[in-house]
Amino acid sequence: MTRSVHSQHRELKDERLPLGSRFGVLRLRRVREYLTGYLMVAPAVILIFIFGIFPVGFALYVSLQKWRLKRGDFLGLKNFAGAIGNLAYVAAFALGIAAIVVAILLVIRLRKEMRENKDKAWWLVAIGLLHAAMIGSFARWFVLLLPEVLDIADKIIGVEKTRELFNRLLGEAFRAENVLPAFYIFLLTLGLSIAGYVLSTRAWRNPRNIPYQARFALSWLAVGLGILLIVFTASQVISAYTAALDTGEDPGIWPQIITISSGILLLIAAWFVWRSAQDADSSRGFWLKILSAFALLVGGWLLIGEVPVILAAGDDDLWMGLKATIFYSAGTVPFQLGIALFLAVMLFQKLRGSELFRMMYFLTYVTPTVASAAVFRQLFSSRQSSLINQILKVFGMERQFWLQEPSGVFTMIGESLGISVPEWAAGPSLALVVIMIFSIWVYVGYDTVIYLAGLGNISTELIEAAEIDGAGRWAIFRNVIFPLLSPTTYFLSLMAIIGTFKAFQHIWVLRNELALRTSDTFSVTIFVEFFDKVRYGYASALAFVLLAIIVTLTIINNRVQGSRVFYG
Amino acid sequence: MAEIIRGKRTMSSAARLRQLIGKILIYMILVSWAVVAVVPFVWMLSTSLKSSAEAQGVRFFPTELHFENYVNAWEEADFAEYFTNSFQITLITLAGQLTFSVLAAYGFARIRFPGRDLIFGVLLSTMMIPAMVLIIPNFLTVTWLGRIGPIKWINNWPALTVPFMGNVFSIFLLRQFFAQVPDELFDAAQIDGAGHLRFLWKVVLPLAKAPLMVIVVLSFIGSWNALAWPMLVTNSPEWRPIAVGLLAFVDEAGQRFEMMMAGATITMVPIMILYFITQKQFTESIARSGLKG
Repeated sequence: MTRSVHSQHRELKDERLPLGSRFGVLRLRRVREYLTGYLMVAPAVILIFIFGIFPVGFALYVSLQKWRLKRGDFLGLKNFAGAIGNLAYVAAFALGIAAIVVAILLVIRLRKEMRENKDKAWWLVAIGLLHAAMIGSFARWFVLLLPEVLDIADKIIGVEKTRELFNRLLGEAFRAENVLPAFYIFLLTLGLSIAGYVLSTRAWRNPRNIPYQARFALSWLAVGLGILLIVFTASQVISAYTAALDTGEDPGIWPQIITISSGILLLIAAWFVWRSAQDADSSRGFWLKILSAFALLVGGWLLIGEVPVILAAGDDDLWMGLKATIFYSAGTVPFQLGIALFLAVMLFQKLRGSELFRMMYFLTYVTPTVASAAVFRQLFSSRQSSLINQILKVFGMERQFWLQEPSGVFTMIGESLGISVPEWAAGPSLALVVIMIFSIWVYVGYDTVIYLAGLGNISTELIEAAEIDGAGRWAIFRNVIFPLLSPTTYFLSLMAIIGTFKAFQHIWVLRNELALRTSDTFSVTIFVEFFDKVRYGYASALAFVLLAIIVTLTIINNRVQGSRVFYG
Repeated sequence: MAEIIRGKRTMSSAARLRQLIGKILIYMILVSWAVVAVVPFVWMLSTSLKSSAEAQGVRFFPTELHFENYVNAWEEADFAEYFTNSFQITLITLAGQLTFSVLAAYGFARIRFPGRDLIFGVLLSTMMIPAMVLIIPNFLTVTWLGRIGPIKWINNWPALTVPFMGNVFSIFLLRQFFAQVPDELFDAAQIDGAGHLRFLWKVVLPLAKAPLMVIVVLSFIGSWNALAWPMLVTNSPEWRPIAVGLLAFVDEAGQRFEMMMAGATITMVPIMILYFITQKQFTESIARSGLKG
């Protein structure tokens, strides 16, 4: 194979020779074009890297340490375990396994592609390993260097800041005793990886060569990461286990991990079996569906039995924050979308003044949040004379404490009716309900505008056709407009649900000490840990839990989007 | 015959009546949400004009108008300083963000270089990361930069502006636009001896007024609303932006509701002016980005 490529290449070269100088100019121009491109994107890319990508890794680094104002001891997964109990270990194991699975899937797909193209390039596995080793050793060097560089700031305190001093300290950081060997290893692997790249591209000139190499490197990286994570987690579990034995507690880590993992595995298996059942013929499909339902039941039962126990061992604040967020989601998203859809359909009738209405509706969204939240703080103040309490008085109802009321709304409703409501059914606190009302008030305007845009995209012919067929208004809405709006509804609910996890500003302005943190959603909980309690490491761990939730929601939504949303 | 005509006529008047009722119903619904949406603003304005004693009371409208509340709030709460701070922050951020985004968007849209799509994909994927994850490490980074470097970062303009100069959304928006500029224009410019930068400056940018305006509007709203990050990186009124300033004022104003509401009104005014001037652009920008914390 190589020989034929070589001879081909020589022929090409021979052809080129007389035009050599012209090709040289072209090449120079191409390199200049590349350079222009890199230079143009560089400032923005560097800034986004420093303040948007690097922080994710940095947050992970912080979350593994005890870090209160200053960096303390290495804690491993203890921050995570403090937040979500032993679920942290399960999640870390699961991530490790997932990384390995991803690597295997990548290789399988690669093999299929190679077969289709009849490429015999399995030796690229080795080149990929070289690249992966290079990236891995770079990461290692970087992680070792980071604390040394961070410490420079502490060494500079109280001394006059000069460029020379900084350069000297930076040099010392680079030459620190554990950093320098890591750097040499990185240089070595870098050399090997470059040599491998050059040799392989010489040996096999093919446009598919580089993508193959890159994907092999990626699979190696995933495998390495997976193994690293599993080994690390195992060591963490063992140390936690021995620590628990020392204090004489019942460790119970392994049974919990096994129960949770098998629960999750059963759920995943159920999903796969269900999918294969859809392709299978009817009788086999039936049994497969039964099987998957069984797996689902058992897995769900295991999880429902075990997860609350684990979470109870975790952080109460986090648990409350999660509960508040879920209440907040459930109490705002359907209402704001429902009201907005209704208003948008009304506005779409092209009545006189609809522009004016639209402008007024959007006003609530446009207003600076702090200002409008400050207004709501007074409207819903606990004073007898506040506007909302006055309105209650007109209806003969009692004055409420609103933003200062920590007890659940269902409990309060039950009390006024003389029924005692069990604690688990207390519902969101009245303070949180006020925040929900504010949130609905703000976002209805935005959702209406987006729905109006969606309505504008529906062709009038479809509606006219339905009218000719004698469909009534409701039938048209139910069977034509609503299905055609499903992408808009989908987009808005996705944004809104993710938004509830990110929500911060208005809750921060509206939260009141007297509500006993019942209105603190997830983001607010993180901010309190960080800003008020100065627990940087722990807050970063919480932030990572948030990131995991948001990524999971996005992935699930992307799956759903394919199957359930109708794009006309 | 006559019966049929009469029947038809009554039918049509019944239909017209039904239509009229339907219209009235729709108007009632629309007006009722408009009332819900606008009453808080009206209440804010009316309270801001009350006397101190009246603001505690139950009357909705003031008996006499106290415009001096605004003067007092403005002077007492340093709103002048917060305003200039917010404007300065917006301007510095915008200058950096526009320059860097325009250059990067052009690079991504019109120049081919190895790894271009990969880099752009990585940038896009960062849009998913919630701000709460970034806020802690960025605070540490900014503190570190301020301690080692020649300029202060905390409590100074760099911490408030530099992290926002690289903005993925504006790069994305501009790139979509730049990619639509026909290649023939570039070929013509090249024949005239213009390079990329000159082409960008003379041809592409004048065409891109609409997306640039979107970025300006969004950036302005962003700086005006910013709360969590400025709270972290400012610890004195010297560089405090308007949202943080208003929150501090509202927290400290105690029982003087008329002052709080005057402060809230003052804070709203610039955004409202921008909204009423550039209404269509404004609505479109926000609808397109869906960004608000």
